[in-house]
Amino acid sequence: MADVVWNDPVNLMSYVTHVFREYFGFDRPRAERLMRAVHHEGHAVVAEGAREQMELHAQAMHDYGLWATVRQAPQ
Amino acid sequence: MSSERVVVLELTRLEAAHLAGLVTQFAELMEDAVSTAGDPAIARLVPDAYADDEAASDDFRDMTEGDLLDRRRQDAGEVLGSLSGATAIPDDPEPDDEALMEVVELRLGPETVRAWLRCLAAIRLVLATRLDIRSEEDHDVDDPRFGIYEWLGYRLDGLVNAASDDD
Repeated sequence: MADVVWNDPVNLMSYVTHVFREYFGFDRPRAERLMRAVHHEGHAVVAEGAREQMELHAQAMHDYGLWATVRQAPQ
Repeated sequence: MSSERVVVLELTRLEAAHLAGLVTQFAELMEDAVSTAGDPAIARLVPDAYADDEAASDDFRDMTEGDLLDRRRQDAGEVLGSLSGATAIPDDPEPDDEALMEVVELRLGPETVRAWLRCLAAIRLVLATRLDIRSEEDHDVDDPRFGIYEWLGYRLDGLVNAASDDD
């Protein structure tokens, strides 16, 4: 399964980058790359793994106010 | 990673009072929110977790919605607590009252900063739903709520930068 974070017109780019760094522990370049993918492509996969883990991540993203969904990882 | 240092936030008493009013309204909205039914602003704070599976989204929401809405209430309480000393302004101030423009310093510890970030982000989501903001270009100069929305964004961005390590 995979976690997808979706673009929205409200959350600031700086805030989204901060969330990716703080929650996933990504370094700044990786967090900014993911943030830009969300912003420009409309969404980005931020994690892959077991369904339970992906649901935990999705809830954590919702806790920050980001819009995240869980879906089957591409094969 | 987020810094563990104390963040110093400077704002005028007028700003602090406005912010406390907003956060109080937000807290009241959250107090009344027992479920996402009927209010798109609440729904935005507890979004679908499965894009194409309504049943799975409902199950997920049943499991998480209580915690997510509790968090909003706790964050609002935390923000109001840190603002409590800064909002003292005269009951009926003159517009040019110097007390309104007095700058106060708030010292926010790491957990409090996290509560502020989540709370300001959540209030912007609620405002954006009320204002029907669908793109970053949406703006109505005649509607003062857009000014509030942008001011919250400015304050949120400043806090994010202050809380982030520069590496």
